[in-house]
Amino acid sequence: MLLCDFHIHTTYSDGSIELRKTIDIFGQSGFDVIAVTDHVVNTDSTIGAIAHRFQYSVTEKTFDTYLQAVRDEAVRAWNKYGMLVIPGIEISKNYISREKSAHMLILDVKNFIPADWSYEKIFLEAKRQKALTVACHPHAMSGMSKNTYYLWNNREKYAKYIDAWEVANRDDVFSVIGMKQYPYIANSDFHKARHIYSWKTLLNCRKEVSAVKSCIRHNRGVAITLFRN
Amino acid sequence: MEFYAVCSIFVMLGFVGYVLQFFAVHSAARESGKNCNMTDPVAGNFRPPVTILKPLKGLDDSLFDNLASFCQLDYPQYEIIFTLQDNNDPAFRIASKIRDKYSHLDITIHVERSAFGLNPKVNNLAPAYARAKHPYVLISDSNVLVERNYLTVIAQHMADPGVGIVSNMIRGTGGRSWGAIFENLHLNSFIVGSVCMLDRILKMPCVIGKSMLMRRTDLEAVGGLSAVRDVLAEDYVIGKRMHDAGKKVVLSTHLINNVNEFWSMKKFLNRHTRWGKLRWKIGGLRYVSELIGNPVFVSCLPIVFWTANEITVLTAALVGSMKILGDYLLARSIDCDMKPSRYLLVPVKDFIIGCIWFIPLLSQTVIWRGNRYLIGKDSCLSPCSESAFGVFTQRLTQSLRDRLAWAWRE
Repeated sequence: MLLCDFHIHTTYSDGSIELRKTIDIFGQSGFDVIAVTDHVVNTDSTIGAIAHRFQYSVTEKTFDTYLQAVRDEAVRAWNKYGMLVIPGIEISKNYISREKSAHMLILDVKNFIPADWSYEKIFLEAKRQKALTVACHPHAMSGMSKNTYYLWNNREKYAKYIDAWEVANRDDVFSVIGMKQYPYIANSDFHKARHIYSWKTLLNCRKEVSAVKSCIRHNRGVAITLFRN
Repeated sequence: MEFYAVCSIFVMLGFVGYVLQFFAVHSAARESGKNCNMTDPVAGNFRPPVTILKPLKGLDDSLFDNLASFCQLDYPQYEIIFTLQDNNDPAFRIASKIRDKYSHLDITIHVERSAFGLNPKVNNLAPAYARAKHPYVLISDSNVLVERNYLTVIAQHMADPGVGIVSNMIRGTGGRSWGAIFENLHLNSFIVGSVCMLDRILKMPCVIGKSMLMRRTDLEAVGGLSAVRDVLAEDYVIGKRMHDAGKKVVLSTHLINNVNEFWSMKKFLNRHTRWGKLRWKIGGLRYVSELIGNPVFVSCLPIVFWTANEITVLTAALVGSMKILGDYLLARSIDCDMKPSRYLLVPVKDFIIGCIWFIPLLSQTVIWRGNRYLIGKDSCLSPCSESAFGVFTQRLTQSLRDRLAWAWRE
């Protein structure tokens, strides 16, 4: 089965490790498929504005450079490690209220999608780009992480747009996703080197972007594993 | 004042040792990169078939690159055996990828859970050693990255039938986390300095387990892997047995890289506590020289135990500055890749190492790759179940309690 992680940040947003080194960390650890998903943060809130002020967000201006860098690294990762790298973003709608906040991954993104758009518009644009949408850390997290409940609280409305939900994120497991029988994956939400040791996804499919997306969408041949050294 | 004077004498003695280490490394570094015995045409062309044994357990930093570097050697005939105890070890995936990528090479992955002895590295090696095809074996750790000419250079020493074992000088590279920076600072100063001083000045056999090239016949003549299955310092014991058997123990000046990028402080402390215990059990009273050989720590003692006045603080600052400069120059002589600003951490690292120095005097247990052992003379291991450990800590606590109670009564 393919060892995968679809939620990875670099210094293009708030990750602590630059893109090339991040790719190397995963390649050196034997991963088969990863997605680089730096934050695209909303600007219509104080928290979002702060993220932009400190350049913790990919913006419309930097998106092309970011996408090209990920694609260049994807070629290198394939040649060196036989590892598939999928470009993505994490749309991050951050508000003071955790009930209003939500994060979602857009995997295999082709064009910039602003986080200020409405949820429907974002999901429809992702579909138009044939990208995969994943609801990130949709339930209560441990530690100092800020919870993002919006998508879970409004699941009746949005579940139809969402291809998969994170059933586990880093050290947290969200059992409610399993109970609802939603399609699931598990990711590290990688920001620091030590985050590599966390929940991961195993996929039983070919090592190609289309096959990976299809496998997640149909949620057959998907398993999760706690990756430890 | 007397305490300050005594400490100052020890600081000066420490610097004398440090200067000797410095020149030993410089002399070795001058030779580094040059092929040994190049003037001897027979040795220069000596390239016997070699089996490289790579015991793997868990993910080391840059494991893929480390293993790949052994697949890119300029050497006519060699096989690589990656050996693991468990299919579920994360290193298995990397070994498989390497085998697929370099499918034209003779690479085998051997997975076998072996209970050959108490040393986990020897346990891992034993089944693979039995399958080695070639008359020469190179035992090489997984956290080592080598250059293309590595095997060519070290194999030349084996042209001399009197040579029993060849190991290499190591250099710490990478270093992004605090633990890894401290580790590399220590490897590139104290460790490389001590190894070169032992080899070049004191003429004592010194073997670094990260790279050991031997004839199988020689290893078997000194007891084989069975002889070291229950010792922690298998490298030291193999070297000592070779030396006792009249074979030469060679420290090649060809530097190999020990890649440490994302070590935690815990890992750094654990390794040097373990190595300290090992040296205490092997060296006995000679272990005291390590404390004296740490001038930064000794210069801080008057501040802690006497008074923090201008003289003591200035002395410590001066010693710290000299050590920063010395370690920087030492590391430069072996072409280390560390940023110059990181050498400012040398005094902090030395102070930590000084504190760790005392632990082997109090504790006899080591944790290695997740296993706990009791360590005895010459690093002999014995099992340490949780209950045995409990008994030991209970005795230690009781002893401390008795002493405190006695002091209180006084």
